[in-house]
Amino acid sequence: MPTLQRDWWALPTLQSTNVTLTYVLMRNLTRNPLRTGLTAVAFALPMGIFVLALSLVVVLTEAAAKNEKQLRLAVRNKMALTGYLPDGVRRKIEELDPQRQRLRAVCAMRWFGGRVPDTQDTLTSLACDVDTFPVVYSDFELSPEEGARWQSERRAAVVGDGVARTHGWHVGQRVELKSTIPPYLRLEFMIVKIIANSSPPNMFYFRRDYLRDSLEADGATGAGCNLIWVKCTSAANLRALQQEIDALFANSPSETKSEDENAFISGFVQAIGDIPGLARSMALVVVFIIALVAGNSMMMSFRERTSELAVFKALGFPPRRVFGLVLAESLLLALLGSLLGIVPTATGLALIPRQMLISASFSPPRFSALAVVGALTIGIVVGLLAGVWPAYQALRLRTTDALRRVA
Amino acid sequence: MSAADIELVEVHKHYRKGRIDIPALDGLSLTINAGALVAIMGPSGSGKSTLLHLVGGLDSPTSGAVRVGEAQLARMSERELTAWRSRHVGFIFQMYHLVPVLTAAQNIELPLLLFHMPASERRRRVDTALEVVGLTDRRDHRPSQLSGGQEQRVAIARAIVTDPDVLLADEPTGDLDAKTSEEILNLLSLLHADFGKTIVMVTHDPRAAAYGQRVLHLDKGVLDRDEVNPRVAQAVRV
Amino acid sequence: MALPLSYHWRHLLAHRTTTVLTVLVIAAVVGTQAWILGFSVAFNNSLAVASDERKIIVIRRGASAESSSALPVEEFNRLIQLPALAVDADTHEPLVSPELMVQIALPRRRDKGQTTGNVAVRGVTAAAFRVHDTVKLQGPLFSKGAQEVVVGVKAAEQFMGLQVGDVIRLGYGNNREYQVVGFFSARGGPLESEIWTYLPSLQSAHNRDTYSSAALRVRDDVDPHKVVEEIAGPAIGLTAQTERDYWQAQTSRIRAYRALVSVLVSVMAIAAAVAVANTMFTLVAGRTREIAMLRTIGFSGRQILTGFVLEAMMLTLAGGVVGCLACQVWLDFVGHAKDMYAATNFTTLAFDIRLTPEIMVCAISTVITLGVAGALVPAWRAARVEVVRALREA
Repeated sequence: MPTLQRDWWALPTLQSTNVTLTYVLMRNLTRNPLRTGLTAVAFALPMGIFVLALSLVVVLTEAAAKNEKQLRLAVRNKMALTGYLPDGVRRKIEELDPQRQRLRAVCAMRWFGGRVPDTQDTLTSLACDVDTFPVVYSDFELSPEEGARWQSERRAAVVGDGVARTHGWHVGQRVELKSTIPPYLRLEFMIVKIIANSSPPNMFYFRRDYLRDSLEADGATGAGCNLIWVKCTSAANLRALQQEIDALFANSPSETKSEDENAFISGFVQAIGDIPGLARSMALVVVFIIALVAGNSMMMSFRERTSELAVFKALGFPPRRVFGLVLAESLLLALLGSLLGIVPTATGLALIPRQMLISASFSPPRFSALAVVGALTIGIVVGLLAGVWPAYQALRLRTTDALRRVA
Repeated sequence: MSAADIELVEVHKHYRKGRIDIPALDGLSLTINAGALVAIMGPSGSGKSTLLHLVGGLDSPTSGAVRVGEAQLARMSERELTAWRSRHVGFIFQMYHLVPVLTAAQNIELPLLLFHMPASERRRRVDTALEVVGLTDRRDHRPSQLSGGQEQRVAIARAIVTDPDVLLADEPTGDLDAKTSEEILNLLSLLHADFGKTIVMVTHDPRAAAYGQRVLHLDKGVLDRDEVNPRVAQAVRV
Repeated sequence: MALPLSYHWRHLLAHRTTTVLTVLVIAAVVGTQAWILGFSVAFNNSLAVASDERKIIVIRRGASAESSSALPVEEFNRLIQLPALAVDADTHEPLVSPELMVQIALPRRRDKGQTTGNVAVRGVTAAAFRVHDTVKLQGPLFSKGAQEVVVGVKAAEQFMGLQVGDVIRLGYGNNREYQVVGFFSARGGPLESEIWTYLPSLQSAHNRDTYSSAALRVRDDVDPHKVVEEIAGPAIGLTAQTERDYWQAQTSRIRAYRALVSVLVSVMAIAAAVAVANTMFTLVAGRTREIAMLRTIGFSGRQILTGFVLEAMMLTLAGGVVGCLACQVWLDFVGHAKDMYAATNFTTLAFDIRLTPEIMVCAISTVITLGVAGALVPAWRAARVEVVRALREA
């Protein structure tokens, strides 16, 4: 009989504890709407930056992962980025592996420095070896027809979607570029392919035989390249070839420096402002700030309610529930602030057309579910951490002391 | 060593609570002589605290005139009242209202900071006030390190350090035990006797009221009874 | 006299946790702000030096920068005929300097040579030192006969292997060894990021018979923009820009970077102001009765308001000082130098980021202003505490 009675009482009591605490929780957040609001805003602003930074990092990481799969090795003049390598270098590299077991193809490129006439828009324009370009850049996915046109049309050009959108170019269009390097040729091209999600967005590839002929027709020398891409068959082969190529040309008049594609790109990116590095350091500072803001708010809130929490304990609420109450409040507050920061930023990223954000030098951040989830996770972790100390204080609260403090 | 007389003429004070108009004082008139020690008694809501706030210039009457010494409080602006209070009134509260982060001496010094006064002069006054309330050895203690009675004595020292004309005490013993209350009340009597301050004390404790030369009983915002306490009147003369 | 400062800092100390957390928020913002200010100042100083309106940079038409320009000698010779050219007081020679620019990749000091940057190597003649009058030699000049270079002080700071006695390899095929014989400064301008050597020597090393560019100085009584137009005109047909315009164009990307960072820092600064407001609201709310007591004693509303604003200023000042110190420590840790590429030629411009007292004062006073803005409403609320009601609630 007593057992039954205890069971009968115990169940509803447990239930009502939760209900009461949930009610108290909501009341706590709405009781001081000013603080809840200010905390949410102070949390949301850095959180917005955080999402932005994270989106950019995600985009770059994705691009880097994509590049890595392509197993491309960049070979350039060791002494200067803009220095030339003789055309023989390609052949010597190919001779390292005549059976094509370790490298699939080698494509030499030469800077053109082409500027769209009557604009200040200088594209990343490169003249490429016609035979190997489609193999080395198989990720551009030239269709058989596009491939055939690349081979047959001397003035063929493959362009990034960023440039195409900026200048309203389409496949089949004739376009002109004016070189900004000697001897400042003005050449006409025929677009055969627009690369989707080009990174960077302002790429412009065309045929090196066309450039060579045009240079020689102008009386200049058409020989030499600035950059040689070696498409490898495996990551291990890429590492090995990197060593071998640099060793092959060591102490020659044309010493080389070989890097994988990501190392090569990051060298550029760092020098033009290191936006990814900036994004990473900003993200760190911002997490630091939101953790402090949330922690501060929770400490203030706890301080004001010490006596109230003591009353809960005096009434017989289990300490771990009081602990949970404080923690849950912190979590809710952090979630509120996170959403306030994440939702507008993510919506903005998703809605603002990509070409508005396009910059010549780096891929713009775009909406990334991964970044949103990441930011939300950080928000939740920060909320939990910020609540732990006050919640622990609440747990240890000596009811009598706390009540006397009020009296 | 100054004191002021107090005069209230037909004073009304109404509070609005939502839509309802609550009269706290309903046409009260009374006079308190300079240098008198007067206790005001009455049940909760009788208007005794309101009376004290009006005399202290913390609040303005809805109608009627309040005069303390030469000051016509009802005609003064908020700013004038603030300046007047700092010079002429000392307040003592039930809850002491000491600043927890300051020492006893610094708490007492607070009102002096409103005046252009060299630090040495402030120190001299604080020392004197501490001596009067008998807490010279506690000057560097924080409120949390003092007993309730000592806290109230620091509050009294703070009230007298500017040498005001009027001391207003709102339930000064309300939070103290009987023995400590007696010490505080003796201290107030001493201030009255030795320095001739006009002291108005609101209380609902008859033992505290017994220290008053005169006991005013308020009820529902009007003067209910006005008694003279012969024992104290005599004691003062002695 | 108002409330003593000790009253305020004691209160801040009493709310230790809240104070420390708020101070750290402010410190984080001031730290980043000090960095971007330092960067901006370094950048502006550098550009301010390179904004001589009387100096004109001439490159080949169609080229976008010196490094991608090839200026044939006969086209350069047309410049010498310009009547607007200034003339050297001693030698009576026209102030026009033929220059050749090449680039070499050098390992950065910052990461112990893991990455390289492109450094401009400029071949010059004696005329260059008269046209670029900001350049001051520290030590000897390269000799015309030997293969020698002088190094800009910023380049020497930024890159490895540029100390006196070191050897760098130049030339087509990298087969010529040049020895560093001295340094030069250029009042902090972009030229300090370069390496200079004797023009004919560099030309022969690189098999060039052209120049890259010409720098010239115009007479004081001529409008330099007229000269720019004249050079661009049919008689000469070259691209000319005043030094100011040239560097403005070259640094467009760096300015975009700076703008981006500034926007981010501003957003964080607003967040910091909100955090200060939040803290001050709580500090005020916890002290309602105390404020009522102060008002009773005779402190005016304005004094209370001033007091709380002062308290917020102390809070932000502490945050500002901590932030500047943190930024200084960070700079000492990662190095003061930052180099970025100019817009079109991939040549390094090095900046020396220093937290000068002016920068610190600027960063701290900005954040104090924001802190005061954040504290005004709570402080106003403190000043408006209803004395009678607050006393009754006691």
